[in-house]
Amino acid sequence: MNLKNISIALTVLVFGVIAMLFMQKGNYVNQAKEHYDATTAKSFKGNSMVLELVNNAIDMNKATWAIACEGLQTAKSSQDMAKLEAKFFPATKGSMSITNKTRRFEASSANVIVSTFGKVEENKKTGVKSLVDLQSVDVSVLLGKVAPVVEEVSDEEGAEE
Amino acid sequence: MDKKKMKILVVVDIVILVALVIILMTLKGGYEEQARRTANEQETAYLEKNTQVLVEQWRAVDQYSMAWKLVHTVLSGVKSEAAFGPALAAIEADKDARFKQVSHLYTGAGINDNVQNGIYQKAGLAEGSILLKNEKNSKEVACGKGCVVKFSYAKGKLTNVDFSGLVQFNLANSLKIEKPAEYHFE
Repeated sequence: MNLKNISIALTVLVFGVIAMLFMQKGNYVNQAKEHYDATTAKSFKGNSMVLELVNNAIDMNKATWAIACEGLQTAKSSQDMAKLEAKFFPATKGSMSITNKTRRFEASSANVIVSTFGKVEENKKTGVKSLVDLQSVDVSVLLGKVAPVVEEVSDEEGAEE
Repeated sequence: MDKKKMKILVVVDIVILVALVIILMTLKGGYEEQARRTANEQETAYLEKNTQVLVEQWRAVDQYSMAWKLVHTVLSGVKSEAAFGPALAAIEADKDARFKQVSHLYTGAGINDNVQNGIYQKAGLAEGSILLKNEKNSKEVACGKGCVVKFSYAKGKLTNVDFSGLVQFNLANSLKIEKPAEYHFE
C-alpha cells in the first residue's frame, strides 16, 4: 500500500515536472516580450514625436523664409510684404514702424523677419503712409542668431491696409 | 497491481524525474540567456533604425537650412554669378552657424537640448556639398530629401531663383518611424 502511494505520488510529480518544463520557456519568452515591448514602444513614441514636431516646425519656418525671399525677389513696398504675409499666414499680420522704416512679421517667437525700407510714402488722397523701396530683409532670428530688438507696435500700424 | 510492478514503476518514475530535473536545469539557463539576448538584439536593431530616421531628418534640415540661407544671401547680395560660389562656400564652411540654425528650428519645435545633442552626436551635419549642378547660367543646390533650388543667371547676372522646392519642402512623406515588429524568441 505504501509503495502504491509512493508510486502514484512520483507519477504525479513526473507530470508536474513535465508541465514545468513547458511553462518555463513561456515565462522567459513573456518576460523578454514585455521588456522588448516597453523599450520599443517608448522609442516609437518619443521618436515619432520628435519627427512630427520638427516637421510641423519646418512648415512654419519655410513659410517665414518664403515671405523673406519672395519679398526680396518681388516686393517693393510694405503693401507687397503684407500681401505675402497674408498668402502664407492668413491669420497673422506684420507690424510697421514708420519711424524706423521697418515692417516686422512674427509667425512665432522662433520665426521672425524684419524688412527694412528706404522711404516713407504718403498717399495724398487718403493720408495713409506706407513704406517703399525695400532694402533688406533681416532673417537673423531664423538663423538662430540673437533675436532682433522687438520694436514697439507702431505708429500707424497696418496703415496701408 | 502487484508489488513487483509497483517497484518497477517507482524506479522508472525516479529515473524519469532525475532526467527531467537535469533537462529542466539545462534548459533554464539556455532559455533565460536566449530570451535576454534576442530581446536585446531586437531592441537595439529597432532603436538604431528609429534613431537613423531622426539622423536623416537632422541632416535634411541642415541642407534645407543652408539652402534657404543661400537663397536669402544671393537675393540680398550683389546678385552676380561670380558671387554664387563664394556665398555657398561660406555658408557650407560655417559649421557653427549651420548647427545654430538647425538647433534654432528644433528649439522652436519644442525639442530640448538633450534630445538635440543626442541626435547631433550621431548625425553631425550633412556631409558633402549641397551643390548639385554648377554650369554657366545655371546652378542647382540640394535642399534635403529630393528638394532642389535652381539659380538662373544671364550674362553673369541673376535672373531668377526658383525655390519652390523649399516652399513645398516636406519630410512627412519621406521619413517615417516604423512601428516595432513583434518580438520573436527564435
